[in-house]
Amino acid sequence: MRKVLTLKLFLIAIISGQVLLSCETKERASLPERVDFNYHIKPILVQKCYLCHGPDPSSREAGLRLDLAAGATRLLESGVTAIVPGSLSKSAVFHRITNSDPELKMPPPASNLELTDLEISLIKKWINQGAEFQPHWAFLPPKISNANLKSSIPEQIDAFLDEKMTEQRLSQAEPAEKYQLIRRLSYVLTGLPPGQKEIDAYLEADQPGAYELLVDNYLNDPAFGEKWASHWLDVVRYAETKGHEFDYEIQGAWRFRDYMIRALNADIPYDQLVREQLSGDLMVAPRLHPETGQNESILGTLFLTMTEGTHSPVDTKKDEADRIDNMADVIGKSFQGLTIGCAKCHDHKFDPIPTADYYALYGVLGSTRFSPIPAGNFKKKEEALQEVLQLKEQLKEMVGGAWEKPTTDSVPVLLVNQSQPVKATKDGNSGIVLGDFRGPDFQGWKTDGGAFGVGTTLGEPDFDIKTGELTGLKTGMASSRILGKGIYGALRSPDFKIDHAYLGVRARGKGGSIRVIMDNFQLISYPIYGGLDQKVNESDWENYIFDVSDWMGHEVYLEFLPGSYVRHTYRQDPDAYIEVAYATAFDRDWFYPEERSRYSPVNSLSQAVYRWEEGHPTAADVDYLNQQLTSGKLVRRFPESRKTRLGMDLLLAPIKDTVFIQGVSEGFARESPIFIRGNHMETEEQAVPRAFLPEILDAQDPFRDAGSGRREMVETILHPDNPLTARVMVNRLWYHVYGKGLVETVDNFGLQGKLPSHPELLDYLAITFREEGWSLKSMIKAMVMTDAFRRSTTSVNGEKDPENKYISHYPIRRIEAEAIRDAMLVASGALDSTLFGAPVPVHLTDFMQGRGRPGQSGPLDGNGRRSIYLEVRRNFLDRMMTTFDRPTPFNTFGKRDVTNVPAQSLFLMNDPFVAEQAGLMAARILAGKGQSTEERIREAYLRAFSRPPSASEIKAGKKFLASVPIHKETTGDSDPEAIALQAWKEYCHALFNMKSFIYLL
Amino acid sequence: MHHHKPLLNQRLSRREMLNITRCGFGSLAFMGMLGSSCKSRDKQSVDFLSQLATTPHYLPKAKNVIFLYMDGGVSQVDSFDPKPRLAKENGMDPTFKIDATQFNDNGKILQSPWEFKRYGESGMAVSELFPHIASCVDDLALIRSMVSNFPEHTNANYFLHTGSGLQGRPSMGAWINYGLGTENSNLPGYVVLDGGLVPPGGVDNFKNGFLPADYQASIMKTGEKPVANIQPDSSMAAFQQDKLAFIQKMDEKGQAKSDEVEAAIKNYELAYRMQSSVPELSEFASETRATQQLYGLFDEDPNTRSYGAQCLMARRLVERGVRFVELTCPYQKGIDRWDQHHGLKDGHERNAHAVDQPIAGLLKDLKSRGLLEETLVVWSGEFGRTPFAQGKDGRDHNPSAFSMWMAGAGIKGGTIYGRTDEYGYRVEENPVSIHDLHATILHLLGVDHKQLTYHFGGRDFRLTDVHGRVIKDVLV
Repeated sequence: MRKVLTLKLFLIAIISGQVLLSCETKERASLPERVDFNYHIKPILVQKCYLCHGPDPSSREAGLRLDLAAGATRLLESGVTAIVPGSLSKSAVFHRITNSDPELKMPPPASNLELTDLEISLIKKWINQGAEFQPHWAFLPPKISNANLKSSIPEQIDAFLDEKMTEQRLSQAEPAEKYQLIRRLSYVLTGLPPGQKEIDAYLEADQPGAYELLVDNYLNDPAFGEKWASHWLDVVRYAETKGHEFDYEIQGAWRFRDYMIRALNADIPYDQLVREQLSGDLMVAPRLHPETGQNESILGTLFLTMTEGTHSPVDTKKDEADRIDNMADVIGKSFQGLTIGCAKCHDHKFDPIPTADYYALYGVLGSTRFSPIPAGNFKKKEEALQEVLQLKEQLKEMVGGAWEKPTTDSVPVLLVNQSQPVKATKDGNSGIVLGDFRGPDFQGWKTDGGAFGVGTTLGEPDFDIKTGELTGLKTGMASSRILGKGIYGALRSPDFKIDHAYLGVRARGKGGSIRVIMDNFQLISYPIYGGLDQKVNESDWENYIFDVSDWMGHEVYLEFLPGSYVRHTYRQDPDAYIEVAYATAFDRDWFYPEERSRYSPVNSLSQAVYRWEEGHPTAADVDYLNQQLTSGKLVRRFPESRKTRLGMDLLLAPIKDTVFIQGVSEGFARESPIFIRGNHMETEEQAVPRAFLPEILDAQDPFRDAGSGRREMVETILHPDNPLTARVMVNRLWYHVYGKGLVETVDNFGLQGKLPSHPELLDYLAITFREEGWSLKSMIKAMVMTDAFRRSTTSVNGEKDPENKYISHYPIRRIEAEAIRDAMLVASGALDSTLFGAPVPVHLTDFMQGRGRPGQSGPLDGNGRRSIYLEVRRNFLDRMMTTFDRPTPFNTFGKRDVTNVPAQSLFLMNDPFVAEQAGLMAARILAGKGQSTEERIREAYLRAFSRPPSASEIKAGKKFLASVPIHKETTGDSDPEAIALQAWKEYCHALFNMKSFIYLL
Repeated sequence: MHHHKPLLNQRLSRREMLNITRCGFGSLAFMGMLGSSCKSRDKQSVDFLSQLATTPHYLPKAKNVIFLYMDGGVSQVDSFDPKPRLAKENGMDPTFKIDATQFNDNGKILQSPWEFKRYGESGMAVSELFPHIASCVDDLALIRSMVSNFPEHTNANYFLHTGSGLQGRPSMGAWINYGLGTENSNLPGYVVLDGGLVPPGGVDNFKNGFLPADYQASIMKTGEKPVANIQPDSSMAAFQQDKLAFIQKMDEKGQAKSDEVEAAIKNYELAYRMQSSVPELSEFASETRATQQLYGLFDEDPNTRSYGAQCLMARRLVERGVRFVELTCPYQKGIDRWDQHHGLKDGHERNAHAVDQPIAGLLKDLKSRGLLEETLVVWSGEFGRTPFAQGKDGRDHNPSAFSMWMAGAGIKGGTIYGRTDEYGYRVEENPVSIHDLHATILHLLGVDHKQLTYHFGGRDFRLTDVHGRVIKDVLV
């Protein structure tokens, strides 16, 4: 007895000794050999000092900034120096943080912030060691210090992970069972449970490459793109409507979803995807869909246009500022993991993003214009248009060849006066010319889309279709049917400030429209702005007048489109067109601009023909040539022209633009001044040159592009020296594979973001990603080929590392909203695995009300399509997706919440969709005739959990099935099949409600 | 990046919760679902501080909020802000400067079609539109100097609900639950009683924004199935309890365990309790005939009956500890909410008739039960209306001045705060912003609006952004 007691005491002593020992080692471990600024000191300063001593001067106290060495070590006005490297006693910081006097103590007690003893020790040691400042870790280029790299990426990943585990004295969990692993792998890569056959094959396979084969199969499954596209959709705040009051459609938004699925399946390199999403409209050689020939690159630009859209804002300038703010914020978070939006009103409180840098980006986005973009067969259209242009040239050559040859010695130099002065008449009416298209060119206006060709119609030969006779040369106008009707195109003016009460456009057309775009505002409609969009539906020339007197001083541009917007969706009939002679601004009466070039001298027929053939005749030349033609002095019979004309019509017929997306096009470089405290009504005088985060991404010149500057922005993001782009993306991939990012704050790599748990690994992956040609599939493959990915979920480390920061086991994860629904469809056999297409209308319940509600509800089961194809209406989000944490799409949400709320349980318990799928699954299981109950339970388990049931689970299942009471209203009294179905439906429903169904256990 | 735990609320950890509340489905069926919390509340002497799930910043006056949202914008000059000058200048062109309005179809000065009378000891003037509310004026603190930043519904609605004109921010009900936690774990902490009109901007007015999903409003209706999925399909109802017991048994046997999975298992118990506690909310049989009469449940007008049912349900919700209840207006065909761009007389009269008696009934009922002392009742639209006509007989939106009132916990009854100009067009004295209103509501709940923050996307967000001032003059 006594002995036992002694032994016990001894044991206690040992145990407590160990406890003491481990505490001590812990203490020692936590004060590192060498204190690192980024990892040890800055987190303290950010949390507890920078609000008053950080980069933002507006809230800085005592003139002290602790984010830069120069600021921390300079002599302050108070006569002390905050930090004297190497000397604690001379460093005022040391005295202030250790002071007990509340008047002197830092941080001040009123701030509710306090330094822990450990933090104080760290700061002390750091000062003693020389107080070395370093730039923020994420702003330094990634580097690999270890020279002995393993031969494969997965091995190297494991090596980095193992190193940390050894350091932390953590054991590794056992390898996962095959059932556990295949289910995990299948969900992670495809968002779907593994198929029965795959499970069987994998279980039987015992050759070493079996797992890799499985990985490759999943990576090549089209479902891979569907799963991984959904991750990116969270990042880009993907939605198919604009929200706000009437929830208008974002035209063609779903094509972005399909674009992303195709791109991921084809493993389009990430740098290409960045380029396309930010500047897909500017690609010299756009990427084409291999089968349909559609322009893939341009679909990426929907990234920029998925902002919300305000119906009738009274202040369009503010509205524009809000839109741009959203774009800037989403760009910053998506590609750089930076919270640029924080610098809108003041310099960023923590990151080196001065307000000026925010407005440098504002300029880029402000000179980007919204535009309908045709989404049809790009390749075919481009080729056909090239041919049509050639045929036109041929026609011209044919005519020119038949006419008199010019003598070169007498070609006059033509002086063209471009700018037209303000004309004022004595009664006070005044006006200016904004664009006069009766001459040969567009006077600096921009065309987009091809319909308006390369110049005006001035001098275009007009043939009688039947006889082929040349009836004359056309006068000048901007025409969207210069090549033929049905082609999309826009003609847009430079930006100008409204300084006259009216804008006037002389135009004609069918189904066309003239729009005054003010502050980039697109949702033009009554009551306020309706007058800024006028339909052009007269084949005779008319004067279209816009009363803009309410908006003096606003920045606007004019836009001519062959089609028009119906409920904010662009439509263009095959025979729609618009033609414009000129556009003016005036104060009272219609302003008629003189046609100057009409009266310029014509010296000789040969000169007129020469200029006409060269493609720059004056209006006078054309008049003159037409006179000559009428008086019979020029050949006018060209019967061959008929064939050429016919050829052109044949080429044009199949390429009419009918399908559009809401994309972007280039405007004119527009620099923005800083808005003081973010207020658009109060701006600084000087405009900020355009750039992309020049403070962080230094060594870039201001953007000089005459357009938006998006091209230069993309180059800055993809520049080899950019420290963020690759890191941010590999970290996103890691988060989706392992359930937690190496940097947990996946959208924030700034000073307030979390530090990487494995910095060397992150850098290694970032460098490898770039070196491997930005291949997303290769990176994902490497991440799932590791031992770490293949470990069991059972921790072997007790209470050590409770958050599993060091990934000694694979985490238990709840599957995403989409996967839960898709898994039910798979289990019930109702899944329709069709890829792509227009979204399935959202299923509406009584609890989903409000303006803009669709007239009809979508199907309860979403037609059995995968969840990614369900409509995303901002004001009517799918109830199941929302309940299971799919984010509300307004800003970047790279990391989803995983909440646990009763609405989730209620959904699984009571929603008719779940009951319906349980019924279908039951029917499916019963369809196999002659099976025993045990076999059926086995099938049910494989369908729901991708594993066979245990003996006790079978027993419990049988007992459950036998206990289901007969529900007479449903089954009737005696129909045994109906009774069985009822019981099995309850059983399948129970399986859907088990945690094994929605968790990767 | 996300702090999921309420800032002020030292909630129990999951394990602690599990240990305390686990009882399994078998025993649940025998539990009195709602009894305990409401019985103790009936005693007026109960110090509700002891029941709060949190340590507030100040001594709270209010425990719950009922927000009577007047969708569309009530005309201040026709309800609570009499302007005799409008009658004098009726039909004349306005001589003052007019801002751009939503429809910019601004007509002549339009006098109010309704008489104003003074009521109560305070002598507060109320128009004929609200004879019943008028009988409660001594409980109201009227603010006549409200201003909004937005002249359009959607922005103004988001602004009123979330403190930001942009879509996607957390609603005040979400903020309040985030800050204070819930008191009744069988019911959601933030309920919107949908009377038929979801305001422009949609359910995003009631969302959690970047706060975790737990804090979004549960939309309830007055009827048999107040909440989505609250009852199983009838063919599966009878067996549900056994099935849940089976599920629980299998889950407990399951291979791997984590706190998260345990919490998800426990969640089913809560959901099951909600199944009984939620439908009970709209069973009015237990209410006396007199009470039902008080709320207008026997009125000829179905809209009055409908809003009356919402008001009664609101009382039952706060009685059960639901922190924030918002009521939307009933849908009436032909008159678009309070948004009378034309037909002011008919529209405002019918809208007023629908809500007047129920609201007065609610105030009186809360008072008689001692609940008004701990419940803050807030009555407001998103903006006011113009004193001049739109067209002939309508009024356009006016964010430059409108009236709202509060009653109940911590409110100084019979107070009038702020003043508009002679036309009721602009505020002349003591302007109150939406941020100020939010700050005041939070203050009454014991929360300092500057300290209620949530870190998202790199910065600490507040309901009041960087603004907000508590309107002390309307407080006791």
